[in-house]
Parts: sequence; structure tokens; C-alpha cells
Amino acid sequence: MTNKKLQAKDLIHIGIFTAVYFVVFFACGMLGYIPILFILLPVIVPIGTSIPFMLFLTKVKKFGMVTIMAIISGLLMFATGHTWLPIVTATGCGLIADIIFKAGEYKSFKHTVLGYAIFSVWPIGAMLPLWVMRESYLEYIRVSMGQEYTNMILSLTPNWSVFILIGAAFIAGIIGAYFGKAVLKKHFQKAGIA
Amino acid sequence: MQNEMLAATHESYFKIDPRTKLILMFFVNMFAFRGGNIFIMLTIAAIPVILLFAERKIKGAIICAAVYLAAALINEWIVPATHGAANVLVVMISGMFYRLMPGFIMGYYLVVTTTVSEFIAAMERIHISQKILIPLSVMFRFFPTVVQETRSIGDAMRMRGIAAGGSKFWKRPMSMIEYRIVPLMMSTVKIGEELSAASLTRGLGGPQRRTNICKIGFSVHDIVLLSIVMAVLLAYFLFEKGGVSL
Amino acid sequence: MIEFKNVSFFYGEKERENGIENINLNIQKGEVILLCGESGCGKTTLTRLINGLIPNYYEGVLTGDVIIDGTKVSTLALHEAAKLAGSVFQNPRSQFFNVDTTSELVFGCENMGLKEEEISNRLDRIVNDFHLQLLMKRNIFHLSGGEKQKIACASVAMAHPEVFVLDEPSSNLDMCATQDLKYMIAYWKDQGKTIVVAEHRLYYLADLADRIVYMREGKIEKIFTQAELKSIDNAVLAKLGLRTLNLSSVQKDSKINNNKTQEIILKDFYFSYRHALILQIDLLDFPKGGIIALIGHNGAGKSTFARCLCGLEKKCKGKMCVCNQEYKNKDRIKQCYMVMQDVNHQLFTESVLDEILLSMQEQDALKAEEILHRLDLAHLKDVHPMALSGGQKQRVAIASAVASQREIIIFDEPTSGLDLQHMHEVARCIRMLNEMGKTILIISHDLEFILQSCTHVVCINQGSVIDNYSLDEKGIRQLKKFFTDIDI
Repeated sequence: MTNKKLQAKDLIHIGIFTAVYFVVFFACGMLGYIPILFILLPVIVPIGTSIPFMLFLTKVKKFGMVTIMAIISGLLMFATGHTWLPIVTATGCGLIADIIFKAGEYKSFKHTVLGYAIFSVWPIGAMLPLWVMRESYLEYIRVSMGQEYTNMILSLTPNWSVFILIGAAFIAGIIGAYFGKAVLKKHFQKAGIA
Repeated sequence: MQNEMLAATHESYFKIDPRTKLILMFFVNMFAFRGGNIFIMLTIAAIPVILLFAERKIKGAIICAAVYLAAALINEWIVPATHGAANVLVVMISGMFYRLMPGFIMGYYLVVTTTVSEFIAAMERIHISQKILIPLSVMFRFFPTVVQETRSIGDAMRMRGIAAGGSKFWKRPMSMIEYRIVPLMMSTVKIGEELSAASLTRGLGGPQRRTNICKIGFSVHDIVLLSIVMAVLLAYFLFEKGGVSL
Repeated sequence: MIEFKNVSFFYGEKERENGIENINLNIQKGEVILLCGESGCGKTTLTRLINGLIPNYYEGVLTGDVIIDGTKVSTLALHEAAKLAGSVFQNPRSQFFNVDTTSELVFGCENMGLKEEEISNRLDRIVNDFHLQLLMKRNIFHLSGGEKQKIACASVAMAHPEVFVLDEPSSNLDMCATQDLKYMIAYWKDQGKTIVVAEHRLYYLADLADRIVYMREGKIEKIFTQAELKSIDNAVLAKLGLRTLNLSSVQKDSKINNNKTQEIILKDFYFSYRHALILQIDLLDFPKGGIIALIGHNGAGKSTFARCLCGLEKKCKGKMCVCNQEYKNKDRIKQCYMVMQDVNHQLFTESVLDEILLSMQEQDALKAEEILHRLDLAHLKDVHPMALSGGQKQRVAIASAVASQREIIIFDEPTSGLDLQHMHEVARCIRMLNEMGKTILIISHDLEFILQSCTHVVCINQGSVIDNYSLDEKGIRQLKKFFTDIDI
């Protein structure tokens, strides 16, 4: 009795996996309080959360599953003080990921990798404030310390560094997808729950 | 420390509708994010802190207030005093705290003073789709379970000597992720199936509109609160734009 | 009320053994039917046919008709079948959808779209009828297993179904909670509801069941009336694979060796959680090499005690003395091995063999295979642990315990939900461990099992040890009194 639309059973699964996803996400995020690892968060998170995510893909297989998970995750970020930016990036990335997964009919691994890689970019929304803030911060130091100093700061943290992070997240997503798939094969498929 | 994401049960001393809390959260978030004068920031942060006090969450209120005050002072004094790369680092970290914490405290307030049922009732009132509400409810209900399962698995790992820092850990550190997450996923799937079956036999997923016995609604508290907060934020706006001196 | 006409069902393609065949059964309105039989006999499948989970949730091949009150269940969507039949499941912790008790009680009615006023009325009546006042507006996660099951039953009753379906509802409950469950079923019976219960533990329903349906390998083999079942003695019941009907009549197995000389002494086992003193044991001693049953009502502190003994609770400052050597917390964790209630939490690897090797300090494949052999797991050595049945997983955990070479092994409710045959298997494993010289502690509320496998009993109540005796004749009487005398 398979139906293309999301049913109560699927919605429950989405809720459960979002709970696990977010707990793992948060656990990885806690690592980010160690100063150096903070910048590596966009890379650590996609790899850590790949296991629940890959399993999630085998459980629901309907359009909207990732978008809903993403929206809820974005809302959770908002509730923990991260501005509304993550909601936007999450919804966007989630929707695109959903489209890609559906196009691959939830079977093609290539589609899975691509979709997950794009999905992995959404947490950058939580870090975007750094760049937005940078503008007002730069204003502040230009006034207090002069143009030259400002130029030096500018050269240390260029605008394009945000794209590096996005790229890093994307690649981490690819690695995560392979890692998750490997774990799926090693454990969940053998155990019969994938 | 409660395991649960939202309060399980809650007796309100200053009851306001969950929707009001969300509206407040949106505005506090928005305005704190734009940053500005330290007095403005402290005022914005004061909104959720005062609400916390009103709901007798004294310990939480004091901790939040203290941490935020520290962040604000670091931003005000230490940032100008450092230079170069150290400066950038301090700005990045304390700046994040400075601008995001008011929103976080507001979120904390929402979480400790609203039950899941009240929250969902409010969402149903504004016609948010069941497609979002059901996963949301399940998620809140599942968080404590995930925590419990993780603890139990952690115990098992310690007992078998494969926990972090244990004797076997250093031979294969990557296995840590595997050991921690794989049993969790197995458990999750199993519980998920049982939960699904049980909920469906209780009629979840039918076409008719759900009713909700939670009593929520706007009251005097909401109107007064929203007016005061709007006035404060308006004053901030004027100060910013009109250059009215403090 | 409920009719099964030539019903057969098989799950998917794989589990052909776990289906049911040619079931013909007529259940009258107001009857209480007890479905029993060994694990895998099909009783759970039968319950799923009544509440509509088959075919709407569990897929497979269904032939024949299941009719409730004139309507064919297979034509109904699940949410409609929910109005006809309410279901209570085995595991209290995975049945509830909400975080607080009141919301959980009204959940079913809210789903049906009943008016708020009607729901409030029903709620007041149910709280009154079942004395739930103290359980209102509480965090479900803080309730005991028995309390959770009570809420589950009440919330199902709120929807006013005519049929109640219960699938092994007492599996995870202690004696008192099982009594509460019995009262609820009796209450529903008085109201004229039709009740179908699938169970292993028969004793609490001995006076309530009108007919007892005995199943084997997917077919109904015999149907007893209450009187007929009560006239069967324990030996015949055992042959059928059924547990006893009468707890006081259980005999002790005399095969167990009971003369140990050395002792394990526990001193100063105190443990607090959130400013409440949960465990308070000044001195406790039990024989080294003995098999000790840890009994006590739910919430008495048995699990906490077991965890402290294992060294899993960092804040516990007690000491364990064995042969003049003292073991503190950190040391105890290397001396004890716990087989948990949920075995899934302690299986980590991808094959049974790896699981055994993981427990060894120096990996020795030959020795590992020897252990697998002793536990009848040799043919499963390359299988993923999570793909095994519950009983097999438990044996893997036991095998890991053996491989760890630790001296003290603790079992937490090893026979929850097990039928007679599997319970005997566990008892056999325990005797085997005992022969190896291990000291074994078992938390259990399964009287038959304790009498099958244990040599001593320690009774815990509210964090203290109130009884410590060996299972001689006097001890057996004391034990039975504890289990049958449930008026605390």
C-alpha cells in the first residue's frame, strides 16, 4: 500500500530522525567550543550526522522528508539564538536536496551523495553572522583605528572565506555520504533494518 | 538539568500565549543581531531575563544575566584593548555571544515555560500544517529517549572498556563514532516502529481536524507585554536612526 | 463480536514461519480471550489482525476475513479501526506519544476530533474510575513502568472502543503493576467490553479469562475454558510450553550446587541522586560463586544497586571485599560484567565473533570459538549481532561476559517477556556460568525463573537490604510469600 504522499507513519519517522540528527549535530557542535575546532564545525558536522541521515533516507523515501527535517532544524537554531538566517539556508538546501533525492528515485547513490553534500551546507547559515557582523565591526575599527589597520584586518579575513567554508561543507558532505553508506552496509543492512 | 526539550508540565505565574513568546523571540533575535550601543543591548537582553524572573526561574535568570553581562563587558573593554589576530578571534567569539545570546535566552525562556502541548496547540491555532507539527511533536517527545539510550550505551561502552579514554580506545579511535552511533540508531529504529504502530492505533493521521484541550489564548498579559516591548524597541530604532542622544 | 473466517497471513516474503494459517475463531461480545503459546506461535499476529495493524502497517499476504461488529477490518483505514479496537502494547516506554500524562490521556480523543468539552468529561470520569489523580499532569518519563502502563490503558479506554487488544502487556511489569493491570482488565470486563490478551504470564488472568486459545506454529491447536485450564497440572503446562497458572505451586529445581564458603562483602554502598538518598547499604555479604536473586518492587533501588556494584556510578563510594582484596569503583568496573535489560545497548560489532573478541584483553580467535561453541552460537559466528533473535543476542552478551573473564556477572531482568522454553535456556546458561565459578547476581521478578536458577535471595526495599537468605526450604517459603503477597 505505498503512497507517494507523506503519511502519519512517515511524519513520525521524520520526527524521530530529526531528533537524532539534532542530538548528533549538537554533540558535534559542543566540540566547537574548543577554539580551534570552531572553524572546523562545517566539516565535522556533516560527517557525524551522515549515519543517521543515510539511515533516514532508507526509511521514508518520499518527497518533503528532508525539507521538513531541515525546516525544523533551522527553527531549532533560531530558538537557540542563531537568527533567522539558518531557517532560510536550511529550507533552501533541504528543498534542493529533496528534489535531487526524488530525481534519483531514492536508489541512485550518486544522487544521494550530491543531495547530502548540498544539504550539508545549511549550517553555514549559523556562521553567516560572522560576515554580516564583520561589516559593522570594520566600520567600528575604521573609526577608532584608521584605514590602514582596517586594511590589514580585511586582508586577514577576506570576503571569499565564506565560500571556502561552503566548499568545505560540501566536500565534507560528500565524504559523509560515503562514510554513512559504508556504515549502512557494514551494520544496518546486515542487521536488516536498512 | 531536565532531559526534555520543552517543559513537560508547567505551572505558570505569568501566563502568556506561546504565540506572543514567538513574536517576542523574533524581535529580540532581530534587534540583538544588529548590535549597537551596550545599553541598548543590555536592555534587549533584559526582556527575556525579566520574563524568566516573572516565571520564578530564578537560577536560570541569574546565570543568563551574569553570562551576558560578562560578554557585554568583554565586548566593551577587551576588544578595543587587543590587536591583530587575537583581536579578530576575540571579536568573533565574544561578538557571537554578544549578539546571539539575547535570542538564546529568549529561546531558553520559551523552552522552560511552555509545554509541548501548549506549543503545538498554539501552532495548530495559526494553522501550521500537520506535516510540520507531527514531526515536531515526535521530535520533542523523542529527545529524552535519545538521551537515555545514549547514556545506557555509554555505560555499556565503559563496562566493556571501549569508551573514550579507555584501554581499547587508543587502538582504534574512529571506532568511537561507530560504537556510539550504531547501537543508538538500532534502538531508535526499533522504538520508532513501536511508537509509530502505537500512535496509529490511537487514530493519528486521520483526515479530521485535531482538537486540543490545552487552554491558550491572548490575555491582558500578552497585550501589556507586547506594548511595552514594542515601545522599547521603537525607542531603540529612533535612537539608531534619529541620533537621539542617551 | 470478532470473527476470524479462514484467515491466513504471512509477513512479506521472508518470514514465512511467523505467519498464521487457517484461523477460524468466533469471539462473543463481552468475552475475555487469552491467547497463549510459545514464542512465534502467532498470537501477536492475531492481535494485529484485530486492531488493523495488519494489513495497514505490517505488509504481507492476507487471505480470509477478520470482522469486528459486522465490519471487515481490512477495509478500514487505521484511524477508523482505532475507534473499534484499542491497543495496549508490551513496552511501556515506546507507546506514548506525548511528554506529559494528561496530554497522553486525551491524545486518542483529540485525534478523533472530539469536542473539547466531551474530552474533558471523559477525562474526569476515567481519572475517577481508575484513581489516576496522582498521575495527572506529570512527566511521563518520570513514571515507573507500571504507572506508564496504567496511563497507556487509560488513554486507550478514553476513546471508548468496544474491543481491547493487549499484546503481552505485563512483560515489563513487576508484581504490583501486574495486579493493577488485572484490575483494569476486570473493570473493562464488567463494562461488557470484549478483550483479547496475548500473554506468556498466565497466572494473573487465570480468574478472568473466559476461554484460552492455545496456538502452535501459526494454528489454533486447542481452546480451553477457564475451568479446563485450571485443572491441568504444571507438568502438562510445561509440555505445552506454557508458564504456570498458580505461582504458589512452583517447585524449586534441585540441581543447583549450594555450598560455597567464601564471601563477597559490600561496605558503605551509598548513592544519592538530586539530593535524595537512593541507596543505603552499610553492609551486605553474599557467597562467592553463588547465584543471587535481587528482588524488590519497582523503584526499590535494585537497578541502582547493580550499577553501583558494577562501578558504573561514579558517585558511589562503596567498597567491595573479595578474598581480602578491596575494590573501589574504578576497579569494580573491571571485575563485573552486566548483561543489560536491553541487550541492544551492548552489542557493537559486525559479527558475533568480533563481539566476543572485543571483550578479550588479548584477542584469541580459538578461545573465542570455543566459547561460542559452549553457548551454541558457533553456527552464527559471522552473523551480525543485531540480526539475531532476542534470545540469541542475550547468549552473545553472555558469551562476551565469559570472554571478558570477569568474576562477577550481573543480569538485569533476563527473562522479561520470555516464554517457558527460552526461560529454561537462560537458566541453563546461568548454571553453566556458575560451574565456571562465576558469582552471579540476577535482578528479576520472575518467580519460576528464580526457583530454577538461584541459590540465594537478597531483597531490597527503598534502597536498603531488608532480607538476605539462602534458598533452602524456609527461604523458598519466604520467597513465595514475597511474590504472592502483594498487599504492601
